[in-house]
Amino acid sequence: MLKMTNIKKIFRTDLVETHALRNFSLEVNEGEFVAVTGPSGSGKTTFLNITGMLETFNSGTYMLDDKDVSQLNDNQRSKLRNEKIGFIFQSFNLIPDLNLFDNVDVPLRYRGFSAKERKQRIENALERVGLSARMKHLPSQLSGGQQQRVAIARALAGEPLFLLADEPTGNLDSLMARQVMQLLEEINQQGTTIIMVTHDAELARRAQRNIHIVDGQVSDYQQLQPVLDAQEESEKVAEIAKA
Amino acid sequence: MLSYYLKLSWLSIKRTPILTSLMIVAIGLGIGVSMTVLTVNYMMDKDPIPEKSHQLYHVQLYTYGKGHSNSNTEDQFPVQLTYPDAMNIHHSNVPLRKTRSLSTGFSVIPESADSPPFIESARAIDHQFFDMFKVPFLFGATWDAEIDQSPREVVVINTELNDQLFNGENSVGRTLNLGTVSYTIVGVISSWQPAPKFYDLNNGNFNDSESIFIPFSLLPIHEIPSWGNNNGWKNENVNSYQDKLASEIMWNQYWVELPNEEIKFAYLQWIEGYISEQQKIGRFQHEKAGVSLKNVVQWMKTNQVVPSDNSILVGLSFMFLAVCMINTIGLLLAKFLQRAPEVGVRRALGASRSQIFIQHLVDVSLIGVLGGLLGLALGQLGLLGVKTLYTSYSQLVHMDLTLIVLAIAIALGASITAGMYPAWLICRTNPSVYLKIQ
Repeated sequence: MLKMTNIKKIFRTDLVETHALRNFSLEVNEGEFVAVTGPSGSGKTTFLNITGMLETFNSGTYMLDDKDVSQLNDNQRSKLRNEKIGFIFQSFNLIPDLNLFDNVDVPLRYRGFSAKERKQRIENALERVGLSARMKHLPSQLSGGQQQRVAIARALAGEPLFLLADEPTGNLDSLMARQVMQLLEEINQQGTTIIMVTHDAELARRAQRNIHIVDGQVSDYQQLQPVLDAQEESEKVAEIAKA
Repeated sequence: MLSYYLKLSWLSIKRTPILTSLMIVAIGLGIGVSMTVLTVNYMMDKDPIPEKSHQLYHVQLYTYGKGHSNSNTEDQFPVQLTYPDAMNIHHSNVPLRKTRSLSTGFSVIPESADSPPFIESARAIDHQFFDMFKVPFLFGATWDAEIDQSPREVVVINTELNDQLFNGENSVGRTLNLGTVSYTIVGVISSWQPAPKFYDLNNGNFNDSESIFIPFSLLPIHEIPSWGNNNGWKNENVNSYQDKLASEIMWNQYWVELPNEEIKFAYLQWIEGYISEQQKIGRFQHEKAGVSLKNVVQWMKTNQVVPSDNSILVGLSFMFLAVCMINTIGLLLAKFLQRAPEVGVRRALGASRSQIFIQHLVDVSLIGVLGGLLGLALGQLGLLGVKTLYTSYSQLVHMDLTLIVLAIAIALGASITAGMYPAWLICRTNPSVYLKIQ
């Protein structure tokens, strides 16, 4: 489904050449929840950007859903990104002067759906994250956790194969972080593949697979069992919320 | 997607009102100045009678004696005719229509003793003048053809004079006192102000058309004076009006309507025959003796209706527009780069570079249209200034629909051109740079 082989990414300035990824190889299968960890500057975000086709790479091959990404032009990459990938960012990246409905609408507009279909998808996505009552609100009228849920709704509205999450709980307090994490797990259980970059070891342990990156290379794979099952996690969130 | 892009553009304008206003003002100023100059130039150069301009010909005859010429025109032809020539060539039946023409004027004596007399410009013409130049009538019609041969005191006035003297009522049949002579009104024309005043470019290219039109045939009877140019080249004793009528002084104009090339050719032959006859009696002795027929467009060009300075002014005004647009490019760069993080998000969510490019061009187009509208308003102010400074240009200082559409099109075109580079730059930015830091 996603296969990277010997990917190399070098950032060059006049004075410095930085090898962000060196012979990076990875395969992610359908339905997996993969956590990517590593120290700052290790290449996690570069990996995520290349996965999302926001960055090009210098050498290697990247197959996404049986398509060789390096052979695609910008229009084809944008179309593929729009159809197959949903992004969730640490700082939510909602567009401040669009209300929730219009924010979730953004990827659907580029997809070319009819107005009726877009409306249906937006309402379903916001319903799924529990914010359907606040469609006409602006992002600034929501808490951080709610904003991240809108970002998740936006990522989900196009029914992508992958969710790429870059520190999705990095700007949230522990309660909201757990709620968001719980939501991501539910989404994964419903079949969406998730690749999540995180610094949080506890969150990483909740993924099915943990990939540790150091100096632009995969240093360790771990196949993990979830720390808590879903029911236990819900109970724990409720406990924290009550406290 | 266009409606979506327009919605985003409107939001973008609301988000950066000061920057956007500066751009609209810059474009508006550029358009305002260039449209003011362009309007005057366009109206000067405009074909005043497009449906007939290539059928109406001004007749010039080279009547100078040996050693004389007109140094003011390229072909050295005199611009007007002598009275004998105007009378003689009027016998030709080749033209579809024809008219002699003389600029003159009268003291109008109102019927009411309470109203003081006043001076009005007038034109002595033949009855076909109105049909030839498509002059619309409000009441009545031109005088009968026979009056051009057997003169009677009849007159056609314009609607402005009719309003002044008869409160706008149908005055056909009423009397108009011009100096000591009473005329019967046979027609009232609607407002008619061709700009330029192509049928007489010797007496102010953009002057108002006359209020009073009388038969040319009345010239010798009432010794109608010329209010226009009188050019002579020959030493002659001109002591009376009759002397003037018989002299080589050039003070009359002549227009013919020649609907096609065959008739034009036939008319040229007729005139050349006339010149040959005149040469036998000692006239037309210059080696260049001949005829020149110039249609309305050629006649306007010969008379340099649009001064060459105007082209320089138009060039300068468009250079000013270019400077305004260069400033706009800087402002657009600032505005678009502010939005780079949003562009990064849109790219991440599936927008292609071309979609981002088009979105930003729609953005500048909307700003361009708003700038164009402001430019139109400023252009109107500019034209008001021209009208105040140059009263003779009063017929020129209005924008017609063509110019309004042109102003918006120029604003749109200039804005899109100015927006190309900023839009290209923003669509080329690497989205990943902004996704972490927004």
